Amino acid sequence: MINCEYLKPVDLQEALKFASQFADRARFAAGCTNILPDIHTGKLRDCVLIDISDLKELKGINREDDFISLGSATTVTELLNSEIIRNEAPVLWEAASRFADPVVRNRATVGGNLAYGSPASDMSVPLLVLDATVLVQSMEKGIREIPLRNFFVGPGKTVLSPSEVILRIKFEPLSDFKFYYTKFGKRNAMAISIASLAVGIKLGKAIEEARIALGALAPIPLRALRTEEFLTGKPVQTEILEKASEILLSEINPISDIRGSKEYRLELTRALFLRAVNNILSLK
Amino acid sequence: MKNLEMVTIIVNDRPVTAPVEAHESLLDFLRNKAGAVEVKCGCNQGDCGTCTVLFQGKAAKSCLILALQAQGKEVRTIKGFSGDFLMEQLQESFVRNGAIQCGFCTPGMLISSYAFLQATPQPAREEIRNAISGNLCRCTGYKKIIDAVEEVALKRTGKQQDKQTTPSSFSEGQEEAKGNYLLLGGG
Repeated sequence: MINCEYLKPVDLQEALKFASQFADRARFAAGCTNILPDIHTGKLRDCVLIDISDLKELKGINREDDFISLGSATTVTELLNSEIIRNEAPVLWEAASRFADPVVRNRATVGGNLAYGSPASDMSVPLLVLDATVLVQSMEKGIREIPLRNFFVGPGKTVLSPSEVILRIKFEPLSDFKFYYTKFGKRNAMAISIASLAVGIKLGKAIEEARIALGALAPIPLRALRTEEFLTGKPVQTEILEKASEILLSEINPISDIRGSKEYRLELTRALFLRAVNNILSLK
Repeated sequence: MKNLEMVTIIVNDRPVTAPVEAHESLLDFLRNKAGAVEVKCGCNQGDCGTCTVLFQGKAAKSCLILALQAQGKEVRTIKGFSGDFLMEQLQESFVRNGAIQCGFCTPGMLISSYAFLQATPQPAREEIRNAISGNLCRCTGYKKIIDAVEEVALKRTGKQQDKQTTPSSFSEGQEEAKGNYLLLGGG
């Protein structure tokens, strides 16, 4: 028996009020690209769907001083059509171009992809490598700023309370970094990642700073902070990169599932990491 | 007890009003309430794309939209394109190229192709492949569908542009990546 209700708030304040009122049953609904399949498969049976897809407060891609700020209800297609994203955050643009398929991208939203908390979340990996911050709000807790790297808790779990909505996601574009994003799946479209990885490197005479984000390789999408620290200040040498890949493998904890075994994912991670670094180094 | 709510959706320029449950999809509404059985139900979970319609002018999988989210909004199914020049060109090209076998994917395939050609009048072949990647066809192997879309594009513009599919320079093809990998002496 499915027991769902649907509410369409007129503005953000009303959305927050509804969410607070229904607490544990509240589910913010925008693109519904996860919610409807979850209803069909019986995973979601009892909920109050609060439709935030048309809320202006959650829309728009803007520059705010040094930051780029995205409304949580921005669709993946809107990212792809944005000159700001294409020119200033190419790593996010690239991930958007590989997200699901072109038709799903017209509906799926950035905030929804994060809030769903999938370990294979395809928006989280580029946003983690950009060290994005998530702005959230609820009646109970007011507005909070949460670094994305502290946002995910476990498969399908985030630090969001049920009545908390993601308002915006913001990040610095990091124009002095070079980035590489790769997603590895069984087919090009509509594939849940077996592994995805984004690497950003700020290169001087040595590696001045490195950022590595991984998806589908641990219970949550994560930053490889120990590998990043190891690489900082190191020259670019084969042995250094081999050592870095060893540390990287110790930071992840992939599972075996229908998409790939744990052993396969570990080998894949090593290969993708070295491929990413070599690719970045080949850029002038 | 079911919680029913009335919803009005503009289907092919005609408002259709019917009671729906909160969790009902636009696809359910179209097939069961609006009589639009030209919209096919394949996987019902967003994978196959055969239920694709134009929703507020954009291609969307109708199984992934709540009927209530479409309140007052415009939906166009394949039947609603009657007299549309681009769609008729596509339909004729699909027939001429043998891009239809069982036909089950065709309504969605046509709508995805239509939305794509509107946005990208001079596509490279690879872009056409990508554009229909959300629509599964188990008969044709896609080649004839891509041929059909390409033929329309060529006819409309009189030429085809040779475009790079990856416009940004930071992510090279995997072959090149592999080459660099070997240069650095990795496994």
